[in-house]
Amino acid sequence: MDLGNVASLSLFYPEIVLAGTILVLTILDLVVANKRAMAYLGLAGCLVALGATVDLYGTEPTLLFHRMVALDNFSLFFKVVTLAALVGAIWMSIGSGEVRQVHLGEYYIVLLTCGFGMFFMASANNLLMAYLGLELVSLTSYILTGMLPHNRRSAEAALKYLIYGGVASGTMIYGMSWVFGMAGSLDYATINAAMAEGGGNQIALFMAFVFILAGFGYKMAFAPFHMWSPDVYQGAPTPFTGFLSVASNAAGVAILIRFFYPAVSTLGQEGAWAFQALPALQWTDLLVALSIITMTWGNLSALNQRNVKRLLAYSGIAHAGYIMMGLVVLNNDGLNAMLFYVVVYLIMNLGAFLVVMIVANATGREDMDAYRGLAWRGAAFPAVCMMVFLASLTGLPPMAGFIGKLLLVAAIIEGQFYVLAVVAMINTVVSLYYYWRIVKTMFLDEPAPEDGPVAATASAMPLLGALMVLTIVLGVYWAPLLDYTTGSLGFFMP
Amino acid sequence: MSDAYLPILLIFGVSALNAVFMVALSHILNPRRPTPQKAMPYESGMIPLGDTRARFSVKFYLVAISFIVFDLEAVFLIPWAVEMRALGWSGFVAASIFVAVLTAGLVYEWKKGGLDWD
Repeated sequence: MDLGNVASLSLFYPEIVLAGTILVLTILDLVVANKRAMAYLGLAGCLVALGATVDLYGTEPTLLFHRMVALDNFSLFFKVVTLAALVGAIWMSIGSGEVRQVHLGEYYIVLLTCGFGMFFMASANNLLMAYLGLELVSLTSYILTGMLPHNRRSAEAALKYLIYGGVASGTMIYGMSWVFGMAGSLDYATINAAMAEGGGNQIALFMAFVFILAGFGYKMAFAPFHMWSPDVYQGAPTPFTGFLSVASNAAGVAILIRFFYPAVSTLGQEGAWAFQALPALQWTDLLVALSIITMTWGNLSALNQRNVKRLLAYSGIAHAGYIMMGLVVLNNDGLNAMLFYVVVYLIMNLGAFLVVMIVANATGREDMDAYRGLAWRGAAFPAVCMMVFLASLTGLPPMAGFIGKLLLVAAIIEGQFYVLAVVAMINTVVSLYYYWRIVKTMFLDEPAPEDGPVAATASAMPLLGALMVLTIVLGVYWAPLLDYTTGSLGFFMP
Repeated sequence: MSDAYLPILLIFGVSALNAVFMVALSHILNPRRPTPQKAMPYESGMIPLGDTRARFSVKFYLVAISFIVFDLEAVFLIPWAVEMRALGWSGFVAASIFVAVLTAGLVYEWKKGGLDWD
């Protein structure tokens, strides 16, 4: 189906709910002095939107707003992921005193707007819409990174992020202009038809795809477009760092898959995709190389980090590399593993940042020394949860991260990318060192005399417990989630 | 396989060589007789008045941003005004919602002190 503007609104209610919440919050910010009420309203808005999104799941794939936005299970899946990350981030923010009271109203408004942009990244069916969604997310991310004006690191990170982001999106839109030149349209269906006819000059098309990959890759933080991520993660308020690490990554995956699969490839027998745009060039070789560089670079850089947020930033780069593996095999198994990993990564990484926030709340520090003997300083539960999240991030059974990695590696071994599989395994071993150094610091190191007791933030405990339980449960009973991701591969095919 | 990438390498090589060649050639061949007029920064024929790196108050940017908002409002409202009778009530409601959202932005800016000059 192909709907016009007014007819689309009846299938657009999750976005309308979210946009309405943002507007109400904007007005409320002027009249309400208690910003906590705004957080609860934002949370309620996200939950209603989540319900609406789940309600729409399974609708017949439809194009809304004159083919600009696609409504299919794939986009609804990423909307659910974004809303879950938003709920987690707002909940974290309630317990965090990092953002000053005067800025708190704006903080929630901009945070929700960032999530709103991710909706469009996931559902864009037109390069223009993809670009707009990506820019909305980028601009709000710059603001949120600089939300701590009294903190020099935050300002520096925001400026760096802005400059890298400007270059990346400039590169991407240049690539899009080449695709437009060769396909004659920005609409994915027309691009697909043009590619099926041979597309155009192979070299030019290759360059255009590399440029577009740079823009999408910058959102996912994969090498060599990852330079912003450590500084931004360290400088931004911790709840937003947690949101950015999972939701920006997910939105990057969404926009990447939608462009490189339904838009320029064709679906063949049994979920195998043919990357028809570049028959003469080995596109997958490039992706394999990028994936190997990303995960190795991220893991090696993480080894010597003393700041835990910075360490998690490099670990995030490594995980972007793992997720990229699913892209090279050109079949639905790989995509399925990617979606599964996105959900698992959301749960475990948000949890890890929640513990970072609890420790920072109590001690005001983010470096490794603040974690010395954490378990014996009155924060045994957060320490145990952190161990679960780190075990999952490493990919140890019986955690959810293990299943995620298993699915990815199984997909690439089936696709006979043995080198990539071996590199991924070696990287997992490398990552064991730096994740478990935190665990060792928390449990085996004696607290120094100057380390005071850590009072755990009470409001964060239910979320922390839920994330930990999910991490373990999905490690032993993952079939429902796998069914959900398999069902979410329903694309609107041009 | 790698043969297919050779033209990219060639393009890089040729463009790099070309850039170096042109800059180097003008550097080697040009006569250097600087006069005060020639050494002046070129500003489209105007005589430069002073350092361009003067500091502006950040308030100018807020005014500029507000201007863009209302400029765009006009851009959207003029086509609607031209076709107002054809669009009927549904068009009127849509335009009203649009203006209401923008007004909320103006109220927000006003209350936050964005329009106070001091």
